[in-house]
Order: sequence, then C-alpha cells, then structure tokens
Amino acid sequence: MNALRFVGTRLTSMVFVLLAVSLLTYAIFVLLPADPAQLACGRPCTPERLETARAFMGLDQNFLVQWWNFVTGIFTGRTFGSAGAEITCPAPCLGYSFVLRQPVTDLIVGRLPVTFSIALGAAVLWLLAGVAAGVVAAVRRGTTVDRAIMVTAITGVSAPSYLVGLLGILLFGFTLDMVPVNGYVPFTTSPVDWAWHLVLPWCVLAFLSAAIYARLTRAQMLDALGSEYVRTARAKGITERRVVTRHALRNVMVPVVTLFGLDLGVLLGGTVITEKVFSMAGLGALLLDAVGNTDVPLLVGVTFFSAALIVVANLLVDVVYGVMDPRVRA
Amino acid sequence: MTRNTTRRRSVGAVSAAAALALVLTACGANDKDDSATGSPAAAQQGGTLHILTSAPSINWDPATSQNLAITTLGLVERRLTAWQTNSDGSTEVVPDLATDTGTASDDGKTWTYTLKDGVAFEDGTPITSQDVKYSVERSFAPELTGGLSYHKSLLTGGDDYAGPYDGKTLDSIETPDDKTIVFHLDSAYGDWPWIVSMPAFGAVPEDKDDVSTYTTTPVATGPYKVADTQEGTSVTLERNDAWDQSTDEARTAGPDSVVFELGQDESVVAQRLIADAGDDQNAFGATFVPAAQLAQVQNDANAKERLVTSGPGALAYLAINTEAEGLDDVKVREALQYAVDKQAFQVASGGAIAGDLATMLITPGIPGREEYDLYPAEPSGDPDKAKDLLADAGWKDRPLRLVVPDDAPTRAKAEAIEQGLKRAGLTVKIVTQPAEVWTQTVTQGDGSKYDLTLSSWQPDFPSANGNIQPLFASSQIGDGGYNLSRYSNADVDALIEQATQETDTDAAAALWAQADRAIGLDAPVVPLIYTKNSFLHGSKVQNFEIPDFPAYPNYLKVSLAP
Repeated sequence: MNALRFVGTRLTSMVFVLLAVSLLTYAIFVLLPADPAQLACGRPCTPERLETARAFMGLDQNFLVQWWNFVTGIFTGRTFGSAGAEITCPAPCLGYSFVLRQPVTDLIVGRLPVTFSIALGAAVLWLLAGVAAGVVAAVRRGTTVDRAIMVTAITGVSAPSYLVGLLGILLFGFTLDMVPVNGYVPFTTSPVDWAWHLVLPWCVLAFLSAAIYARLTRAQMLDALGSEYVRTARAKGITERRVVTRHALRNVMVPVVTLFGLDLGVLLGGTVITEKVFSMAGLGALLLDAVGNTDVPLLVGVTFFSAALIVVANLLVDVVYGVMDPRVRA
Repeated sequence: MTRNTTRRRSVGAVSAAAALALVLTACGANDKDDSATGSPAAAQQGGTLHILTSAPSINWDPATSQNLAITTLGLVERRLTAWQTNSDGSTEVVPDLATDTGTASDDGKTWTYTLKDGVAFEDGTPITSQDVKYSVERSFAPELTGGLSYHKSLLTGGDDYAGPYDGKTLDSIETPDDKTIVFHLDSAYGDWPWIVSMPAFGAVPEDKDDVSTYTTTPVATGPYKVADTQEGTSVTLERNDAWDQSTDEARTAGPDSVVFELGQDESVVAQRLIADAGDDQNAFGATFVPAAQLAQVQNDANAKERLVTSGPGALAYLAINTEAEGLDDVKVREALQYAVDKQAFQVASGGAIAGDLATMLITPGIPGREEYDLYPAEPSGDPDKAKDLLADAGWKDRPLRLVVPDDAPTRAKAEAIEQGLKRAGLTVKIVTQPAEVWTQTVTQGDGSKYDLTLSSWQPDFPSANGNIQPLFASSQIGDGGYNLSRYSNADVDALIEQATQETDTDAAAALWAQADRAIGLDAPVVPLIYTKNSFLHGSKVQNFEIPDFPAYPNYLKVSLAP
C-alpha cells in the first residue's frame, strides 16, 4: 500500500512538473524578441503577409492561450488553417512544426530509434567500463594501474565531446579506416550495419561519461572496503573476489544507479553534439535544428518530451532504489 | 510584343542571411550546346549521385520553397521556364514546361505561355494550364506561406487573394484552353520570364494536393520522383519514366538515382570528400567548404582538383543608415567609403578565395554591368582623405552602432570594419544580436536602433533588378524589406520603376547601370567584396560547374563517370 501511495504521489507531482516545464518553455520563447513568423513569411515579406503567417501559426494569440492550446492538444489533437487546407495534428499532439511541416509527435517518434540506439549502447558501455575501472582502481589503490585509470578518467571528464568526436572520426574513420565515418543505419535494415555505424559514437560517449562513473565507483568502493561489514566478511574467510563483487559492490551500486538513471534520462532526450558530429538524425539534432530555425513549436515539444523522460527516469530510479536497498522501502 | 529567349533579368534577391542559402542553390554551367538548339548533348547515364547537405529536410512543396531553379527542386519539379547555364559562365532563362519564355502584350502587363506537348505528371497524366494555375494559386494560401513571393504583389488582385482552398480563383490568371495560360499584371514587368522560373510556377494536380503531405510527397514533373524519405536522414530520388528528355533543354538527368544525405556536419562532409572513398566518389557537398578544410585542400593536390570555387558572386557590403544622425550627410558617407579597410575585411572573410574586392553594386555575371570605382583608393582605404571629408562635414564624433548577427565569422568581419574606421577617427561600437533578432532590427520598424550593419546579397534571379530594387527602392524600407540603408531618393525610385517596366533587355540593362551609378554617388552602402563559394565533389562526379550567377553548382546537369 505504501509503495502504491509513493508512486501515486510521485505521478501527481510529475504532472505538475511537466505543466510547469511547458509553461516556462513557452514563456522563454515569448520573451525572446525574435519572431518565428519572419521565417515563414517568404521573400519578399510584406507586413500583410507577416500578419497572415502569424495568424496561421497561432502567434497572434496571448501566450497563455497558446500554452493552453498546447496542453489540451496533447489530449484532443489540434487543427491548423481553414477548411479545405487544414492541417491536423492528432492526439497526442505536442505541437506542429511549421518549418518542417510535420506534427512534432511524429518527428519525435521518427527520431527516437536513433537517439535510443546511441544512448542505450553508450550507457551500457560506460556503465560496464566505468564501474569495472573504478573497482580495479580501488582494489589496486596507489598502484600505477590506479593512477593510469584516474588520469584517463580526468581526460575524459575534461575533453569537449565535439573535439573527441571529430578526432575519433579522423583517427578511426579516415586514417585507420576501421569504422564508418558517419550516418545511421536502422536496426531493421541490417543489425550488423546498425552496430557497426554506432560503435564509434558509443565509444566516444562512453569515454566521456565512464570517467565520472570510474571516479565515483572508486571512491565508494574504497569507502566500502574499509567498512566494518567487509572486515567481518573477510574474517569469515570469504575470498577477496567474493568480498568485492558480492558485498562491497552491491552497496557501491546504489549511488551509481541513481546517477545512471538521471544521465540516461538526459541522454535519451538527445545527444546533441554526438548526433551532430556523426550526422545522425536523433532528437538532439532535431532540437539543434529547431533552435537554428526559431521553430518554437518544435522547441517546446522536444523540450517537453525530454523533461518528461528525465522525470520518468527519476521515478524509475526511486523504484529501483527500493529494490536494491531494502532500507528505503521500510 | 517581345520574345525573351535570351533575356536575363529579374527581380529577386537573396539576402545572405545564412539560412536562406541552405539547400537551394546550385547551378552548373557545363554544357557547351547553344541553348537555342533544344536538348543538350547527352550526358553520361547511370549511377547513384549522393548530395551531402547540412539541411535537416527537403521541402518539396513549390508554394513554400525558396529554391533556385537549378538546385534540388529542379530535379523533380519543372516550371514554365528554367535556367540554362552555359560554358561561358552566363545564365539565361529558357523554356521549360512552356514553349517559349513568354510573350508580352499590353506593353508588358500581360504575359502569355503555351505548354509543350508531351509534358506529363509522374503517373502519365498530361500537364494542363489549369494545373499550373492551381499551383500558383495555392501559393497565396495562408497555410502555404514562406516561398518566393515576388509574383504575389505583381499579379492583379494578388494582394487580396487567399488561395484556392475556399473555392475562389485568381482571375488575373486565365486558362483559355488546356495549353494556354495568361498572366495579367498590375504594371509592366520586364523580368517576368524569370519570375515564372520560380517553384510556384510548376504544376500541381488539384486532386493530389494535400497541404500537410505535399512537402514530402510531391507529384513529379521532372526527370526524378521522390522514391523514399527517411526523415532527417535521407531522401532518395529515382527516375520518372513519364519525363521525356526531348521536351527538356535544362536537365541532362545523368544519374539513375540521386540520394540526398541530410543533416551532415560541414566539416565531416569536407573530410569525406577530401578522402574520396567508396560512394563518396559519386558525391558532392551542397554546403560551402569550411575555412579550415579550404586550407587543408590547398595542400592536397588530389582534393584541390576536385575543389570548385565560384566566380565573384554575392555582394557583401556595409550598409549606412542614411536616416541616422550625422549619416544623413552624404559627405560623411563618402568619408566612410574611404575609411573602410576592404583588404582587412577580405582577410577576415577568409582571404582571396573568399571573395574579390568590390567597388559597385551590380554583381558580376549580371548583364549590363559596367565596372567602375567612384571612390578610388588603395584596397586598405584612404583614412587621410576620410578625415578631410569628415572635417569638411563638421562631423561631431559619436559612437556608431554597428549591429551584426552574433556568429564568430561575422564578428571577425565587424572588427575589421571597426579597425578600419578607427584610423579616420571614427568610433564604432559593435552590437551583436541573435540572427533572427538582427533581421528584425534592420528590416522592421523605424530603424532607430542601428547606424551601420553588415549584410550580403545575391539576387534570386540574374537581373540587375534583383541587385538594385530590393536594396535601394524606398518602398523596401522597413516592413521586412532589405533596404538596410533606409535609402530614399525620388530620382532613383523613378529610374528603378522605369527599368523594371522596360521589356527590352538591353534598354533595361542600360537603365539599371544608370541607377547603380546614381545610387553609388549617394554612398548609402560601402561595397566590400563579391563573395566566392567553394564546393568539393568526388572523383567520379562530372559536369560539376558553377556559372557566374548564381554562385552555386547546377544540380540539373551533374553526371557520373561509369
């Protein structure tokens, strides 16, 4: 019962957070002096035509009305334009991109496979690599191995992803010719090509993020290895390997999973730079193009979706937390 | 009554404000045939051409597109007229769906076209004049704004027309029979043959029109049809069997299919084309080669052979707000002509490969252009002469606000201007704004928020009209117009009107040259450089050429080596 109430409360607060996010996003773009209708006006642009474009895009309305239309559109769908030439955006409608002339929901759904492919692959890779490196570094504390891992980690944390991506393409793509330079192949077209094209972006993203996990795991692991229960376990004669993997690591994983859930949520909202460098049309690339085009409906829609992912990730982390750490459930 | 087979003028102009240039431009001048003889020499057939572009999508809807006639949309959608790019670098307007480039009557206010026999939609249905009329009409619909809109103010009744979707038709377009279409204009317009080369003057079958899907699934009239679209990733074109080469003198349709790779990073595109491996041998980049890769190509003999740099194209200029305090004095504006360091500006733009120094307004490649320099000085300017002029004018030093879009290349150029003016004792305050905000500051409102700005301009079609009218007619001040100098001179306006209405090509060209000089004497802008665009292509790409105008390759004639 407690668990149900816990989830219920979280769900309610989720709805309010999302409403606030959408309102805030709208407000920010209304406060900007740029006029999205300018780009939809054509050339040459007369004041009458600008007004027509503004009315069609719904920009002539108060921004609270625009926002309310957005919220209700999620449940009921929306229609733009006059009869005979109307454009429909079926529910759940997250807005309509007048630049790309497609419903935002369709655009997001179309790009999810790309972003998910990049994010999930990279996440698995960095979690494994980061945790493994952290454990090794902790167990071999003070040795050359430890120092080498930590120096690599600091490099990864500090390196700009744009640079690492381009260097990766230059080295492994052009010079060594080991992997494809860029582009995305759908999993359904060819699973092998799909993975082959994704190897480099996975590695680049993992290199950048694994560092944080390695450092976190190392610190937590050192803490755990020095604790009373580990000493007890050792005293009972359990092998060191078992002490590390069964006893210490399980506790170390609690903060790691918290961080992982949030990072993954953020990443699923779009890996902007990585997608751009590797010319992969995911959510991040979509968001970047929306910014470049002052495509407000698309910006609001994608931002809203990303926020929803993070909120959901938060919820999942809390639930998993309970599974991993019985004390939370109590 | 004038036949306009060799006419080359027009009215549009493209601001260089970055986004516009994106997908649409490219012209290749490669074939050696005389355009009057009909079909061009057969190009090598076969292969898959890859076009690498940074654009995230292709908008195929002719009503909302700003494509130049020789780029993307031209592969799929024909118009009444097309652009022929010749080996001598010239670009001329030639018949496309129509049998000629237009017959003027009623002193240039009425233009009549006859459709060719044998032109059809991809399903084999013959194209009728009603299909063309419908295509033009739908461009007036509020649901379909955003395209090239020159015709909307020219056609009689256009200002009050809101498209065909509520059942109304535009009466100034007549279709007396299936082959004939007649346009009635408010006033004579000599460049009309260029206007009907714009996307909206194609053909759209009413029964296949859906405003929400036409942008991705157009009905083809050209040599290719859209076969597959992977949103954000690629668009694949395949041959349209209903297209007949013998009716088309502007397209060679060499490749069997064309694949647009979308959303590509410019640097990576350039690297791929330099490496020239696999499919990339059959590819070209639709985006300019970035400065870093331009430098790299200079040291790579193989890649250098595949780099094509246009001739001098768009005019980059410093606009002086002629309504601003002090700048309303022509002596002060003359002083600015001498104070600016054009050489430094050229260096900031990327050096000699980025453009040639400019002295006048009409851009190279435009018929009737006469070259002259009203304010002769060293490339780095003449600060002493500027100081004298400023002293004569009694200039009271005040900081000049140079408002520019906020990106690194533009900031570098703005600093080059600032340094130059400083030598003559002028103080410049650089104000950067996000691109869209900058557009509004300089094209909307009363213009009180800037003294100087940097811009560049390439006409939407190759006529001096396209250079002069949008930038210097007093009707183009504010309200979205590109008269950034807010320049108003009744004599010049009269000259522009006279030249616009002139249907004789040579007479019109002479009038435009006269207007150019008259404006130059008022010094509302400082011409800086004529910018050059560089493109890379793979080793199997043939007939990849760039005419004098526009500074883009002609997609319609590119072919592939076997």
